[in-house]
Amino acid sequence: MSAPDRHVFQAQASNARRWELAAVWVFRCATYSVLLCGALVFGKIVFQGSQTVFTTKAPFINTAFFTESPETLHVFEFEGKKMELGDRDFRALKAANPAAKNLKSETFVYSAGGIFPAIAGTVLLVIGSMTIALTLGVSAAIYLSEYATQGRLVTAIRISILNLAGVPSIVFGLFGVGLFVIFFDWNVSLLAGWFTLALMVLPVVITASEESLKSVPQGFREGSLALGATKWQAIRTNVLPYAMPGILTSSILGITRVAGETAPIMFTAAYAMRDKLPWQDLTHYSDFVFQGVMALPYHIYVVSSKIPQNEYTERVQYGTAFVFLMIVAMIATISILLRNHLRNRYRW
Amino acid sequence: MDAPRPAHDPEFLVNKTRVRLLGLSFDDAMKIFFGGNAFVSVLVLTLITYFLFQEGFGFFGQNHRSLLTYRQAGLEYVDFIRTQESGHTALTRYISDLRLRQFNELTTVRKLDLEAANAQLAAFDEFSGQFSDGVDLLRGLLSDLTEQATAIKTKFLVAEDKKVERQQLVDAGKSVEAAAVKIDQIDFPAELKALTGALPLYRTASAEFADKLMASLEKAPTLPNPELATRLVRLRELTADYIATFPATLRSLETWDYTRPVPWYQSATSFITGRQWLTASFWQDWYGIVPLFMGSLMVSLLALLIAVPFGVGAAIYINQMASAREQRLVKPCIEFISAFPSVVLGFFGIAVLGQALRLLSQQEWLAWVPGFPFSERLNILTAGCLLALIAVPTIFTLAEDALQNVPKAFKEASFALGATRLQTIIRIVVPASLSGIISAVLLGLGRVIGETMVVLLCAGNRIAIPDFTAGLAVITQPVHTMTGIIAQEMGEVVQGSIHYRALFVVGLVLFFLSLAINFLAQKIVRKYRISVG
Repeated sequence: MSAPDRHVFQAQASNARRWELAAVWVFRCATYSVLLCGALVFGKIVFQGSQTVFTTKAPFINTAFFTESPETLHVFEFEGKKMELGDRDFRALKAANPAAKNLKSETFVYSAGGIFPAIAGTVLLVIGSMTIALTLGVSAAIYLSEYATQGRLVTAIRISILNLAGVPSIVFGLFGVGLFVIFFDWNVSLLAGWFTLALMVLPVVITASEESLKSVPQGFREGSLALGATKWQAIRTNVLPYAMPGILTSSILGITRVAGETAPIMFTAAYAMRDKLPWQDLTHYSDFVFQGVMALPYHIYVVSSKIPQNEYTERVQYGTAFVFLMIVAMIATISILLRNHLRNRYRW
Repeated sequence: MDAPRPAHDPEFLVNKTRVRLLGLSFDDAMKIFFGGNAFVSVLVLTLITYFLFQEGFGFFGQNHRSLLTYRQAGLEYVDFIRTQESGHTALTRYISDLRLRQFNELTTVRKLDLEAANAQLAAFDEFSGQFSDGVDLLRGLLSDLTEQATAIKTKFLVAEDKKVERQQLVDAGKSVEAAAVKIDQIDFPAELKALTGALPLYRTASAEFADKLMASLEKAPTLPNPELATRLVRLRELTADYIATFPATLRSLETWDYTRPVPWYQSATSFITGRQWLTASFWQDWYGIVPLFMGSLMVSLLALLIAVPFGVGAAIYINQMASAREQRLVKPCIEFISAFPSVVLGFFGIAVLGQALRLLSQQEWLAWVPGFPFSERLNILTAGCLLALIAVPTIFTLAEDALQNVPKAFKEASFALGATRLQTIIRIVVPASLSGIISAVLLGLGRVIGETMVVLLCAGNRIAIPDFTAGLAVITQPVHTMTGIIAQEMGEVVQGSIHYRALFVVGLVLFFLSLAINFLAQKIVRKYRISVG
């Protein structure tokens, strides 16, 4: 006895249907709870970090945080007021004010000043290692996709790429210590960090580049070859230009990995604290690549594990995490958007 | 026939002869250049293996020497007695736990105030005092012997250093200075006399100790409720068991011989099965990977346990159930989560999650959960939750690929036979892609076990094998991991020391573990791939 306004093909309520609906909701909840967790982490760090990075007064950005070096924070009471000063200002106050001569203060390392050297170091590390990784990776991908024929060597190369992708980053760190820092005697330096990071992302870059090269239709190459071009000419004029956007966007994902890793640079390139900026006081040009730098991920590790948690240190902790997350998020977003855009642009 | 020749030759675009260098055209050179770059990956893998071995392999020799010194200097001998003494410490801990329980009983159930409760416990305190004082004689002997053994070891190490110094001088051609370096010959039998001579003293001390324990147990007061009384009975049993081990200790001491050689394989087995990772100790350093391995394993398994339902569930939902719009929206978001740097997640664990979980565990209504409430902010649970967030995107992406690769015909055939959507997914699509899903989970495991910063910051960094007697509550204990120990100690060790090399061996273990996981994942995919057509 169905209701009169019921359509013949209208779905009937049944147990199977109810089960299905329940299952869909279970899976939906699983999906969205993952997103929720990600959003929670992201939101908490953005919320707390933006209090450090942004200010209520013009220019609304805490420029000191972006332009100064980390300093020790002094918290003390002076003339009845509770004051917080960075190390330099604190000394200046002591020197200027005789009443402040014997001032005792609570100190928190790294909690004042900014994180400019760490930002600069990260940028240098990323640029250098991505240059190396792209050169090596794209060339390797060209070989694998354009030149290679089935053979033992190519199989060996493919297997090692697959396996390299799974090697833990800390093992790359150890490898960097063994080969670059000790065997080549580069010490803790930019150069050692560049190569360690570059070798670590190499599998990502190769796989991504090969995929983009493979997606260029075979006809492009054949047309070019038929007109008498050599193989390299065909690749240079008819394959690479069409594969390049894909290679670059996929490699950006590699950049996020390079920028985000801490373990490989801990012993190869990063210093917990360095007063000089990388380009200051160089006696020789080559010194530039043979110096260690501060890096954002390592700085986060240092400020979150080596100093206690309280209201004074929290600012630099969240602030650094926020800046770092923003940089990585920006790169990731750009790569994802670009890829979606490019997917629609070339259709063969 | 006599066609006039054209005024000039026809023009071709390519009219250069190719330049050849060493018999190679430019094209060949390019090919070799690209091939060489491709070969870098093979080279890197070889170099990683080589350098891990090169830096790590010396560990086994050094560890063997260290174990040999441990025996020759009589440290092993003293440790027999130390084991006996620490057994007693465990028992006293049991007793103080018993006292705490009584105290709680008195104050909460019988509502006595603190002073009255303490007065009630006076008899028990006297008993526990006697029980713990019994060891005094043995402990005194132990500390004397410890000093003597340390002295022998120091003497030996100094002599070794002198030998190295002399060798260096000889190598530098300074034979006069080399001859001037005085090396004390260590006369082990004579030095060890002081240790082995203490055996009669030990016999009396041990016997007296056993008597005292038994005597104090006989005077143990009765306890207020049956549950505690059974615990006291258990204490009696434990003590009896403990005393029963004394003759074995005595036998080990009597038969101990410093000349007994240390087998060469023991340096490896002591690493693989060693239950202690103890460094920079005044007594003897131990490099056993078991606690670190167990830590890594526990954290990773917990992370997978959380991540697999969510990751695979999300993959099934997005691939099979969600609308196209939802797909386009959610997929980039999950990829975005995978871009979170692990050090930021680790910081989140320290700053927020650890505290939040602890507060959650202290809620009354959650007391039934095993291990709740806990007091350690950083533990397996905290690290596991964060690692799960790292593993989910990996598992999701790979599992989604696997689901995507199931041929459409499978699904259509299932629908045509009248199966519902849920039936099709559970009976057809998921089984067909199971190999891919399993390899996704394995690769997720590889990702998690190699993760460094999260476990370094959030796993609590206590080097101990998790106490499995606690049941499920084991997940609330702090641990240390293989990746964490490398990251933490690599910066502080002297290059070339045994500790430095031990860290490389841990790295070697990690390396081969990751290779094995990778291999397994590939094998599963290859073996169970469904062939279509």
